[in-house]
Amino acid sequence: MVAPADSLVSELASIVGADAVKAGDLDRYLYGGDAGVAHGDVSVVVLPKTVRQVAAIVRSAIAHGVAIVPRGAGTGLAGGTVPEGPAILLVTTRMNQIDIDARNQTAWVGPGVINLDLTNHVASLGLHFAPDPSSQAACTIGGNVANNSGGPHCLAEGSTVNHILAVEFVTAQGEIVVAGSGAPDPPGLDVRGVMVGSEGTLGVITRILVKLLPNPPAIRTLLMAFPEVGGAAGTVSDVIASGVVPAALEMMDRPLIRAVENFVHADLPVDAAAVLLAEVAGHEAGVDAEADLIGRLAVDNGAFQVRRAADSDERELLWKARKSAFGAIAQIAPDYYLHDTVIPRTKLVEVLDQIYEIASRRNLLVLNTIHAGDGNLHPKFAFDASDPEVVAQVKAAATEIVEVSIAAGGMLSGEHGIGLEKRDLMHLVFSPVDLDAQARLREAFDPDGVMNPLKVLPEGSRCFDFGRPIPEGAWV
Amino acid sequence: MTALRAALGRLVGGSSVEIEGAPPAEMSVAPDSPEQIARLLDFASEHALTVLPWGSGLHQGFGGRVDPDVIISTSRLAGVIEWNPDDLTVVAGSGTTLGALDDEIAPRRQSAILPEAMLDATVGGVVAAGMSGWRRLRYGPTRDRLLQVELVTGDGRLVTGGARVVKNVTGYDVPRLIAGSFGSLGIVTAVCLKLWPLPDVTATVTTDDPERALAVSYRPQAVLETRDGVSVFLGGPAPEVEAQAAVLGGDVSTGHSWPDEPVGECAVRFRVAPVDVASVLTRLTTGHFVGAHGVGEVIAAIDSGEIAGHREWVEARGGSVVIERAPGAVYESVDPWGTAPGTADLQRRIKTAFDPLRVLVPGRLPGGV
Repeated sequence: MVAPADSLVSELASIVGADAVKAGDLDRYLYGGDAGVAHGDVSVVVLPKTVRQVAAIVRSAIAHGVAIVPRGAGTGLAGGTVPEGPAILLVTTRMNQIDIDARNQTAWVGPGVINLDLTNHVASLGLHFAPDPSSQAACTIGGNVANNSGGPHCLAEGSTVNHILAVEFVTAQGEIVVAGSGAPDPPGLDVRGVMVGSEGTLGVITRILVKLLPNPPAIRTLLMAFPEVGGAAGTVSDVIASGVVPAALEMMDRPLIRAVENFVHADLPVDAAAVLLAEVAGHEAGVDAEADLIGRLAVDNGAFQVRRAADSDERELLWKARKSAFGAIAQIAPDYYLHDTVIPRTKLVEVLDQIYEIASRRNLLVLNTIHAGDGNLHPKFAFDASDPEVVAQVKAAATEIVEVSIAAGGMLSGEHGIGLEKRDLMHLVFSPVDLDAQARLREAFDPDGVMNPLKVLPEGSRCFDFGRPIPEGAWV
Repeated sequence: MTALRAALGRLVGGSSVEIEGAPPAEMSVAPDSPEQIARLLDFASEHALTVLPWGSGLHQGFGGRVDPDVIISTSRLAGVIEWNPDDLTVVAGSGTTLGALDDEIAPRRQSAILPEAMLDATVGGVVAAGMSGWRRLRYGPTRDRLLQVELVTGDGRLVTGGARVVKNVTGYDVPRLIAGSFGSLGIVTAVCLKLWPLPDVTATVTTDDPERALAVSYRPQAVLETRDGVSVFLGGPAPEVEAQAAVLGGDVSTGHSWPDEPVGECAVRFRVAPVDVASVLTRLTTGHFVGAHGVGEVIAAIDSGEIAGHREWVEARGGSVVIERAPGAVYESVDPWGTAPGTADLQRRIKTAFDPLRVLVPGRLPGGV
């Protein structure tokens, strides 16, 4: 690791105070990774508290010719906050102010606010923040915005972008701007919409206006167990086609059920090939009929058990089981590789079969949690990374899973983002012209590559000029 | 300019078409493929022509006036391209009317929740104008259902953004950027929309207290106020609709009868924080209006001389007053959008990224972008 220039460290310290700058080798190492597998070199870590400090840090980065990599809690999985090249890691966790506007059911929050803290903070008002990634007890709203995060309950309510009304951000030129508004459809291009899911490559988000939803008056949670994976997948298709939009519709397969049951003891049916966890939320007078319908569709698809959570304790236990997949896998093997692709919901059975085939051919253990209701697959390989041959197999299997997902009409990522992990796969789903358009868009925000460079778009994306390919051999 | 007409005619293999309500132009054409549009825009970029994309013309009153050389109609890009009822998605050509889309998908009780009572509008036009219907209170804005766009950029490139899946974070959200861009970045040729199942039962309940209606009902589809009163639009399973109607306590009628667009020479949209809707309505002393409680939008027929006063009040509260339609002369003295947004410079650069020679509706967006 190359030590940062003293002049940069002292300049940053003069902006945020010495206690908010970390330039020692250990800190720089610890902040060099995320929750995935990538690791990079951080020049210096800085933890600002205010938007003015962020603007000053960005201007300082420009002056010193180093990049800015924004980061929240570091729970990302795609390497989006892992620097490639000299970079200031701008950590937003100290920007955690919450200002609620109860009458408009909105809140301005700092990017460092923890997702679950926001929901807990507004619980007394009967409101919640809808996106609920499994990491919600640790991940930040800023990170959710950067990755357009999902979670089980985005089936009915949509991903993070549907819940973001405005963002304040510091541009790559060091200016503070606000895009979006608490009023609908502010005039002009939807810069807010582009900022969401941009993985820190277009600016540093410093404040976020979120929409809060009223808590549903009634919730019914069902656990359905199937002897065959196909029955669970068939139920998903039938539910989507039935006209019921559940609040959540999650699938777990046998290896995962067993691992989770061992971990949380939720009385899960360990003999099932797959279980579905479905939730309907809404008016007291409507939810029972919807839950009954889902239960009937499950039985029609061969379910041997339909269990309805009797109370909120049982409901929480079932959700704990679903959200404990990571912890559960740690019992099986020291390492895991978690995948994230999305496919049309009608292709679940077909793609799952292929995933099992890939795993078995490569002698790997695969465990599946699936946001089945929106076709978002999360196969997890549990393995021991000390064996390089196994690591090679895991990587090859990961690429194959992407390929079968795309062949089924799917996409690279449903909610984890592209980051470094999938950057070089972008050409599988976008044409050179599509990638060029995205590269031009990025250039409009950040012509000099200050913001999280080398992420999301592969090298060479910007390869056209005025719609005509640049002649081969041209010097550009 | 006969040579120009001949050249354009060759590109689309046809002659000029008549477009009702369109401004004068050297030529109006109706290409039948995205590739033809690409050739036209490439040609327009080369010859510095001004291009006006045209759907049904319903939203052409928004934004700065454009004096076009060429009008490109999307009328021949009509029709449903791919409908996956079991996946709740549909792909339609941009020239497909909302009525034609509904004819196809409504029998399966599915809906893209596009503006109600606007059956002649095209899906491309609704997306380009970022228009949402009244049921936005329950289902969110149209842009939240826009999964994929196919467009031709100002310099004639065929670009696809997004994908035909309901959840996706793979690259930048080009679809959301196109929603509400009013044709300034590209001409939309096809869109993929997420669908919703239509509710089993719908009903409309009158009330005299919209604030209470929002508080006591669970996620109604709309709460609309006109000069005739306030109506709560409910939808869901029958027992739920009955229970919600009973709590609201007003006159109940079956189904939804959506209010008409306000009649008048000049109409504006007030866009404010949801709680400010009531205050906006008290400012409207004459003319028709429809106010969407809980959403923050009021469409009103007003005298154009009142715009400045309303705008001062609304912009001070973080909202906007935008012209939906007005006589041509009004645009010369009143900005159609109001104060330009703080991101105007950035928006100008984004415009350049998609339309480097500014052939598409130059000056239509706020701040002359």
